[in-house]
Amino acid sequence: MPTWIFYLLTLAVFGAIYGTLALGLNIQWGYTGILDFMYIAFVAVGGYVTSLLMLPPTQAAFGETYVLGLNWPFIPALVVGGLASALLAFIVGLLSLNRLRSDYFAIVTVAVGLVLYTIAGNDTPLVNGWDGISGIPQPFQSTLNLDANSYGFFFLGLCLIILIIVYIFSERLYRSPFGRALRSVREDEMVAEGLGKNVFALRLKAFVIGAFIAGIGGSMLVIYVDAFNPSAWTTGETFFLWAALLLGGSANNRGAMLGALIVPVLFAEITRFLPTFGSPQVVDAFRYIAIGILLILTVRFRPQGIIAEKRFRVRKSKLQRLESALASASTGVQITDTDLADNAGILPDGNAPLQSEEGKTL
Amino acid sequence: MALLHTLLLSFGFGLITASILAIAAVGLSLQFGITNYINFAYGDLLTFGIYTAFVVNQHLGLNIWIGLVIAVIATAILAWLINLFILRPFTDRGTSPIIMLVVTLGVSLILQNVILAIFSEQFQSYSINTGTPLTLGPFLFTPLQLGIIGLAIVTMLGIHALLHYTRLGKAMRAVSDSPELARISGINTRLVVNAAWLLAGGLAGLSGVVLAFNVASFTPTVGFGFLFVIFAAVILGGIGSPYGAIVGALVVGLATEMSAAFISSEYKDAIALVILIIALLIRPQGIFASRGRA
Amino acid sequence: MSSETRQNEREDNQGDRQGRPHPITGTATMKRADKIILDARDMVKSFGGLRAVDNCSFTVTRGSVTGLIGPNGAGKSTAANLITGFIRADSGNILFEGKDIARLSIHHIARRGLTRTFQITRELERMTVTENLLAAPHNQLGESFWPGLLGLPAVRRQEDENLKRALELLRDFDLYHLRDEYAGNLSGGQRRLLELARVVMTQPKLLLLDEPFAGINPVLASRLSDYVEALCKEKGITFLIIEHNLAMVERLCNTVIVMALGRAIAEGTMAELRQNPAVVDAYLGEG
Repeated sequence: MPTWIFYLLTLAVFGAIYGTLALGLNIQWGYTGILDFMYIAFVAVGGYVTSLLMLPPTQAAFGETYVLGLNWPFIPALVVGGLASALLAFIVGLLSLNRLRSDYFAIVTVAVGLVLYTIAGNDTPLVNGWDGISGIPQPFQSTLNLDANSYGFFFLGLCLIILIIVYIFSERLYRSPFGRALRSVREDEMVAEGLGKNVFALRLKAFVIGAFIAGIGGSMLVIYVDAFNPSAWTTGETFFLWAALLLGGSANNRGAMLGALIVPVLFAEITRFLPTFGSPQVVDAFRYIAIGILLILTVRFRPQGIIAEKRFRVRKSKLQRLESALASASTGVQITDTDLADNAGILPDGNAPLQSEEGKTL
Repeated sequence: MALLHTLLLSFGFGLITASILAIAAVGLSLQFGITNYINFAYGDLLTFGIYTAFVVNQHLGLNIWIGLVIAVIATAILAWLINLFILRPFTDRGTSPIIMLVVTLGVSLILQNVILAIFSEQFQSYSINTGTPLTLGPFLFTPLQLGIIGLAIVTMLGIHALLHYTRLGKAMRAVSDSPELARISGINTRLVVNAAWLLAGGLAGLSGVVLAFNVASFTPTVGFGFLFVIFAAVILGGIGSPYGAIVGALVVGLATEMSAAFISSEYKDAIALVILIIALLIRPQGIFASRGRA
Repeated sequence: MSSETRQNEREDNQGDRQGRPHPITGTATMKRADKIILDARDMVKSFGGLRAVDNCSFTVTRGSVTGLIGPNGAGKSTAANLITGFIRADSGNILFEGKDIARLSIHHIARRGLTRTFQITRELERMTVTENLLAAPHNQLGESFWPGLLGLPAVRRQEDENLKRALELLRDFDLYHLRDEYAGNLSGGQRRLLELARVVMTQPKLLLLDEPFAGINPVLASRLSDYVEALCKEKGITFLIIEHNLAMVERLCNTVIVMALGRAIAEGTMAELRQNPAVVDAYLGEG
């Protein structure tokens, strides 16, 4: 197929995969306010486990040593990959989410991620160390037997299906009382506790769910790239996703997907067209400088991201339905607006009023 | 017998690592105690110090010790500038510590990669004369390494003097213990914060250069890699407690070096990370908690 | 100690057999055990070397509006935090409806019907006023993962009911027109009302208000006071109100507990307390 179609296809696949990853991170950060700097480790664990399940046993491979190797079909391997990430998140979260304030927790996550990275690289029999794994069987290829070009589109279709499922799931979660409880934890955990919410349990659930999605996305990533080693999942990669989420719009799933499209995909591709100064590492450096600047500017001037969190409005239809059932006053005492005159009009600490995505203010 | 010999040797190395670590840890602990947010860019300040001295040493051809002095001053100024232009706009509006972490993360990315873009990822080193190794009892040190330890001790004494015998030092301790109380007592917190950044920057620069003394060669990511070892020392010792930071540095430095006698040396850094994780899980306020903040 | 022996001890504390008031508690009447909704016994809390709450004991009668007053540093805030679980007591028992809640976590205590407001209002800033109220009830089926995700009919019914209650409350507090506004954009007075509305939404049995009248204009304070009274009468909510504004306390509370130096030193109506030398001492000694 012509190069430009192949190019667009690659962009689309990465866009779909990173979009999925951003949605998972959004549940942790955007919904619940968990600062998770080991997200990329969840991506890696999912990717590794799924691939290792699908690969043939070690002896059959060429010069690669790893565990598992059970020749599993795609879908069970995918699910187990996601569960493996979820399990890791459960352990880490169980031990640390209850004891630590958010920035300390972030440090723990980096530390755990780095330890895993070191083990993965040095303990060669585990996942073939720094060389990594490759030659992963492509999903459904043995049954479909498509040619390379057609398979590319098929795989894109798979990624899009997964993206859509995860998107619908995330949206439903957001609109549910569960999602509202998560957001109350994000806003003020003391208040949430005082309202009877088990903050620890809610945080742990959000952490695990996000990790599961990371595992799923990670599996698709590893299968697609087909050559996966620890250098692909350094802490820097998490920051990349972070910047994507922050810029696109935390707590807004469309924003998350937009960010995933702009930052990893567009960024990576645009720098391709810049004249190459030196080694690939130097070009990488410019990318990271841009990410750093972007992070700071976003947090300073547009912390809600490009697409801000949607404001919850009580729908007119619902109001009309409830109108007839609403009593005029439940206790016979009404506090009128004039009583508020002394205290009116003062906005909290002089900041700009909060804005929803429509840009409407008080 | 061979094991004992190895242990003693690595104890010696541990002391050197602890010295390097202590300088950095005191700086970070003081800054964290006063500003109440984690500075992700601290490791890259070390890197900045290393490369400043490198430029002075290799490109200007001057003695490395001059490079060290210039590095300390330059890093102190850089840290102060970062606070002034990038961090203060956020802290002035009461930004939460989590967001500050994200901001310092951005600073780290920029600083580290600017250095990377300029110097590339090649391994570099100083032209320095380490001197011939001396045998002191069971230990084996080069004069340079002894110099590092001596430098660390002098620095610690200097910090102690600053904190206990100068007005600024006492003000810094007050702000670190209780910022609200300090403000009410009329202490100029802005000045204290500026001083903290200058001091932290200077210490970072110093620590970076002596770190570079002790390793065969360095790259632009060396500071960031060391950051979590520094975190381990700081958290273990207790945020805001410089003496705790010294103790933490000793524990972490000795543990990482002496562990090499038992496990593969590639996992040395992982030891520091494990200490960090365990410290955070078991006693996040550290050994010498000045205020319980985790 | 069983509740029976405790009741006998309480009778002893009420006064001698001639029915004269007890020299310290000042009360001449008995409180029956089943009418006590909150029974704090010998609460102790130290911070470093300082005993903020020092063997503090008092009771709150069900259906009352009880005030908790005392000079600065008396330990009222600490006691409030101990009762609601925000701080863990070093020792002592706190019986809420007969069951000890001293070792329970905050959300367990809240789920049992003991909720509170805060001295400095805390709202869920990036959520709307309506969402702040909708987040409040604790028995929401939809807050569990699967029911919420699947959107079961039972969940939707509960949401509708909660929305109806929330909108009614907003009407009462005249916040209805702000229902879709972010809580973070509200003025100070509006936030105060929102916090009260939110905590009423939890349908509590005992509601602890932490200095609700601080810094409010007198007209609004008077209205709030009427509202609290009405809530108490119509919905049977018991109130425990920490306040410095003694005029409001006198108007609103039928019983008042006085704390000083970490313990409860007297209990009774304001009139009784004014005659109580220990109370007068505590306040005057402070000045």
